[in-house]
Amino acid sequence: MIQVAGLTKTFRDKSRGLRAVVDRISFEVSDGEIFGLLGPNGAGKTTTLRMLATLLKPTSGRALVGGHEVTAEPAAVRRMIGFLSGDMGLYHRLTPREILRVFGRLNGLGEQPLCARIEEVVALLQMHDFADTKVDQLSTGMRQRTALARTLLHDPPVLILDEPTSGLDVPTARVIEEFILQARRSGKCILYSTHVMEEAEFLCDRIAVINEGCIRITGTMSELKAATGRERLREIFLDLLDGQAEKAATK
Amino acid sequence: MNLKLVAAIYAKEMLDMFRDRRSLISMIVVPVIAMPGIFAVVHYFTVSLGKKALEESSRIGITARVSEPGVRDALKITGFELVPKPDARAAVESKAVAAALDEETAADSSGRIVIFVDRTREASSIAGQKIESLLERLKLNRVKTSLRGMGVSERVLEPFQVKSTNVAADKKMAGFILGSILGYAVLLLMFTGGMYPAIDMTAGEKERHTLEPLLASPASREEIVLGKIFASTTACILTAMLTIASLLVAIQRLGMGQSGEGLEHLVSRAGPDAVTVALILLTLVPTALFAASVMIAVAIFARGFKEAQSLLTPVVMAVVVPAVVGMLPGLELNVGLALIPVFNVSQLIKEIIIGEYSRINFLTAFASNVLYALVAFWISVRIFKTESVLFRS
Repeated sequence: MIQVAGLTKTFRDKSRGLRAVVDRISFEVSDGEIFGLLGPNGAGKTTTLRMLATLLKPTSGRALVGGHEVTAEPAAVRRMIGFLSGDMGLYHRLTPREILRVFGRLNGLGEQPLCARIEEVVALLQMHDFADTKVDQLSTGMRQRTALARTLLHDPPVLILDEPTSGLDVPTARVIEEFILQARRSGKCILYSTHVMEEAEFLCDRIAVINEGCIRITGTMSELKAATGRERLREIFLDLLDGQAEKAATK
Repeated sequence: MNLKLVAAIYAKEMLDMFRDRRSLISMIVVPVIAMPGIFAVVHYFTVSLGKKALEESSRIGITARVSEPGVRDALKITGFELVPKPDARAAVESKAVAAALDEETAADSSGRIVIFVDRTREASSIAGQKIESLLERLKLNRVKTSLRGMGVSERVLEPFQVKSTNVAADKKMAGFILGSILGYAVLLLMFTGGMYPAIDMTAGEKERHTLEPLLASPASREEIVLGKIFASTTACILTAMLTIASLLVAIQRLGMGQSGEGLEHLVSRAGPDAVTVALILLTLVPTALFAASVMIAVAIFARGFKEAQSLLTPVVMAVVVPAVVGMLPGLELNVGLALIPVFNVSQLIKEIIIGEYSRINFLTAFASNVLYALVAFWISVRIFKTESVLFRS
């Protein structure tokens, strides 16, 4: 459902000149799969997700989402995705129900099906108690559930989730994780960005470790273990980063 | 272009806008409360200071040297309180009296009455004018008496009469005074009224990180920008309507102080009718669209709310210049001038209120403002498609 080949994004930086933030990355994500993009801050995860959500245009390479090319058919891509940014991006003066109504309309849901769907999502994410309270009065957990509800409202086949449990307490993070697992069971293609090792290990079917814009390794947990000889994802991850640092030092 | 998506964005922006305190203050509170408030304060000070100046003007100084017959009596009869002062100039300078009279001998040995006034003080100016006019009448009466004594008719002093007639109807007079203020105030407040909503729905969204989910929705950049521009335009038009209404009410109730004495009666008798107000609003629609597009285009450049305020303040200041020029008397709109944005509306409002606007000028101004709005919209969309602007931090 997501096919990425040689995707590159360069930015012109005043101090550093032309810089590849994402450098020729390639991966595929199938339906019913959670693919984790694991990397430290500034590794290129968010830029990758933004390119797949058609917010940024790739400098080169190719990316297909649900069979649609992100540069050639951005509108078709946006109709297929549910995008959750790391900052949640909720309107603080609106209530969760109002936000859902706005995004339901933007996704082309008619008024009656929209009302029914809002009730469904509100019930599913246990939002009844705060669905009519303005977002600026909600806790981080409630906000994240609202953001997730907005992402899932139109039942998109592809979910692009950028650190959805960031800043959440353990029980709320657990609710979100359960929901993502349920989405996988219903056959959705999920691209999941995180820098939390335990979460990636628990949720993802396959993981790609990304650093300095390049994918260092891709595979299932057992494939990663076999390739690196390490047992824990944290060790694999740190080894890869250390290797990078050593290479940089010898250069 | 999917208009349903534009409508969805518009509805969201309107809901958000009416819950934003800053937007409500600039859109509603300023025109509804501040404008009549300014008029009330000006009215209060003008009336009370005028009254005080009138009272003070009746107290004048007079030196013992003033011996011209009839002068003292005439001053007393007119209501002046005569205060004996040895030095007339010093008495006025020390503000002991509003004005003072002294007498000296002229070169031809005749008496010359000198009036001392301080033109920086209103009471002194009023007193000086009243004394001058009184002494002129006194002089004229003396001449008439002398002529009668010589058997000459008084009419020799006035061989013919002069009468000035104002051909301008009440509506035109009210429009002349109202139009110059209204155009300026409405344009200025319209821009400031649309400024905060424009900032909030662009730079504000960037700052709160709400733009990303919107950009990732099926709505295209054009649809997003159009929804936002329509919402900001609504804010501009709402501000303009409230400004017009509150200005008319304020002037009808309070007038404009001494300089516009009687204006409140003039406006209530011959103020703009519903058709005139509708025509003014119609003139303002493309300008509001233009204002909203420009402000959206500028504000999206900013990283956050404060930066957007700094960027938009010069834009609002720039509106003042053509709006003020439009207030100047003597300027008449022609097809060429009708192409200048903001100025054309300021001038057109004046002409509509007077009731003497040209249809060609109206259409030229309307069409050019629509064109400018379209250009500004196109630029806004271009900017909304520029990654470096949308995602710079």
